[in-house]
Amino acid sequence: MRLILVLVAKDIRRRIADPAGLLLHLAIPLAIAGMMALAFGGRGGGANTPVMRIVAVDLDETPFSGFLAGASQNPEAAGRLEIKRAVNREEGLAVMHDEEFAAMVVIPKGFSDALLGGTPTQLELTKNPAQNIMPVVAQQGGEVVALYLSVASRFVGSEGPRVKRLFDEDGGGWSDSVGLAATLATLYGRMDASRTLLFPPLIEIREPEKPKKAEEENGLNWMAWMYPGIVVMGLLFTGLTQMRDLLHERTAGTLRRQLTAPLGAGQLLIAKVLSVAAVVAIAHVCLLVIGSIAFGVHWGPLLPLVAVSALVILATTGFAAMVFAIVRTERQGDAFGGILTMLMSMVGGAFIPPQALPVWLRGVSQFTLNHWSNEALRALSLGGGWAEVRTFMLALALIGGISCGLGILLLRSRHMRGAL
Amino acid sequence: MNIPLQVRDVRYAYGKTRAVDGVSFTVGAGEIFGLLGPNGAGKTTTISMICGLLPPESGQVLIFGSEAAGTSGAARSRMGVVPQEIALYEELTASENLNFWGRVHGLSGARLKTAVDQALEQVGLADRAKEKAAKYSGGLKRRLNLAIGLVHGPDLILLDEPTVGIDPQARLRILDVVKSQAAAGKAVVYTSHYLEEAEQICDRLAIVDHGRVLAEGTVAELRRQVGEGPVVTLKGSVSDQQLQALVGRLPGLKLLTTGDGAASFAAADATACSGLVRELFQSGAHVEDLRVTEPSLQTLFLKLTGRELRD
Repeated sequence: MRLILVLVAKDIRRRIADPAGLLLHLAIPLAIAGMMALAFGGRGGGANTPVMRIVAVDLDETPFSGFLAGASQNPEAAGRLEIKRAVNREEGLAVMHDEEFAAMVVIPKGFSDALLGGTPTQLELTKNPAQNIMPVVAQQGGEVVALYLSVASRFVGSEGPRVKRLFDEDGGGWSDSVGLAATLATLYGRMDASRTLLFPPLIEIREPEKPKKAEEENGLNWMAWMYPGIVVMGLLFTGLTQMRDLLHERTAGTLRRQLTAPLGAGQLLIAKVLSVAAVVAIAHVCLLVIGSIAFGVHWGPLLPLVAVSALVILATTGFAAMVFAIVRTERQGDAFGGILTMLMSMVGGAFIPPQALPVWLRGVSQFTLNHWSNEALRALSLGGGWAEVRTFMLALALIGGISCGLGILLLRSRHMRGAL
Repeated sequence: MNIPLQVRDVRYAYGKTRAVDGVSFTVGAGEIFGLLGPNGAGKTTTISMICGLLPPESGQVLIFGSEAAGTSGAARSRMGVVPQEIALYEELTASENLNFWGRVHGLSGARLKTAVDQALEQVGLADRAKEKAAKYSGGLKRRLNLAIGLVHGPDLILLDEPTVGIDPQARLRILDVVKSQAAAGKAVVYTSHYLEEAEQICDRLAIVDHGRVLAEGTVAELRRQVGEGPVVTLKGSVSDQQLQALVGRLPGLKLLTTGDGAASFAAADATACSGLVRELFQSGAHVEDLRVTEPSLQTLFLKLTGRELRD
């Protein structure tokens, strides 16, 4: 045990001595979270804000338009936005008048194709003449949505057809992992290039600070939903980077040198896995603290948070061990691990609610550690406790235990074959 | 059993390529034993079997009487390995590197501190102990690489080409350290393809090629295999028949190698040497270059393998 601790301490010391890789993997999720907070307004408002009630008529009938029309399916958004679907304009107008909805939005046929193809299109908004304030708010909100969709469309640009395939019923876009990776890389590049152009905004609207009332503190925090997914993605990247070190040590010769010392291969592998877990834990604590301070995310009661965090770290470490037990080189690990992480993050609901995914993909989502990690952390950030996270914890314990055990076994088998 | 190292008829193959083919030797305390041979001769594979990284297909490696493969921690603690590649942590300082490797070998507390200070002093890095290894030159990294193998005070030291690619000054420093270790009673196995270096520091040598030991003994014993007198090397257009005729006419002259327009002879004495020169010029042979040198390991390697060691 003493030797294992010596090995773990060595790896942590090395990471602290050269923290660039770790900081980068902390900075990326934080940058994404920061941009999203700036773009979408960060924290939510109070609990007394009236509900915006909209009738949606989806004439386009594509998964993408369905996603827009079904935005209120997100349970957090449901508290602020109520969207009722109607089959056609006539039915929509009747619902708006009879059930006192603020406005009706019609998504015209061909809307998704036009938007993802980068050609001009329209959203039709009809205000309820019987109301005064909410229809105006709905119109302004619609204009903001239109603006964001326009920006997003231009941002996606030539990648539009490939993005559209992701929303297809057959889910064909998800099976093209190479194309998906290329799209992600392109979009990331564009986001990175436009960051200095868009952010930070030159003008900010400032409200005079006033003491918070208790009920306001219980209001919707949009980042509380988004941030956990980003945290888990950041942890996966951190774990991969740290586990990559095993192959780096092989190349540098330090692994062979350690094997000439009075150490067993099993001790070396366990120590490496523990050091990955330790660094992931450090990254996790940093991301939790930053999320709390910068984005106002509350992580709920301490003990459930510690337990969930430990299981998320276990599962993340197991994932990294399995990836680097399979790949042959550091570069393969970077590419394979990176693509898997992005795919698992998307399918696991890091960026979009799992409810908005095609049905078959929701089933796939259950097999990702991201799904269970995201849900567990979200449950805590939205005020849950032991009862709300119990199922997620069980799933994470299962995934983490199996992946860690399997990862160590695979690495050991690889060592026995002389391939490590 | 107090013999530090016994290697008995070990063999190892990488697939169909036989890297080590029946190598045997013994190294005693206070002795520097050299494994001399060109790249690919099987030196590193032999070292890997000694330090337990590769299990011999057949044969046996005994370290202080214990089997090297799967050996106990105690036996491994008595062994220090300095690999051919510079295997250290560049993010850490020299002092941190040595602390880590010392701990891995069971040192702690005051013993560890003393051992680290001594190792730094030995290789001349005491004044740069707090610098990250990444900032070191190649020579300094080699010195730290050596210090890591010595920090725990091993009784058997395995050095695999420890002076590759460094400047003469750093090489001398490393050789001094190796000699001082042997003088302190440590057994040293030293692989190299630098003949002069091996001649300079090794008490005994084995010349290896294609995984076999071609000759073994002290430097003096190996030189005697070539002959006591000078070695004459010539380049030019001299046929094999002419060369054989020369050897037949001149007693005390032995043909060592021929081929590629070159030949080398072992002359019993200066008379045989001058007789060869005279006969060559009288025969009208076209000689482009002719050199007379003292017998060396290079000559022996040439005699044993028919090629220069640097090939």
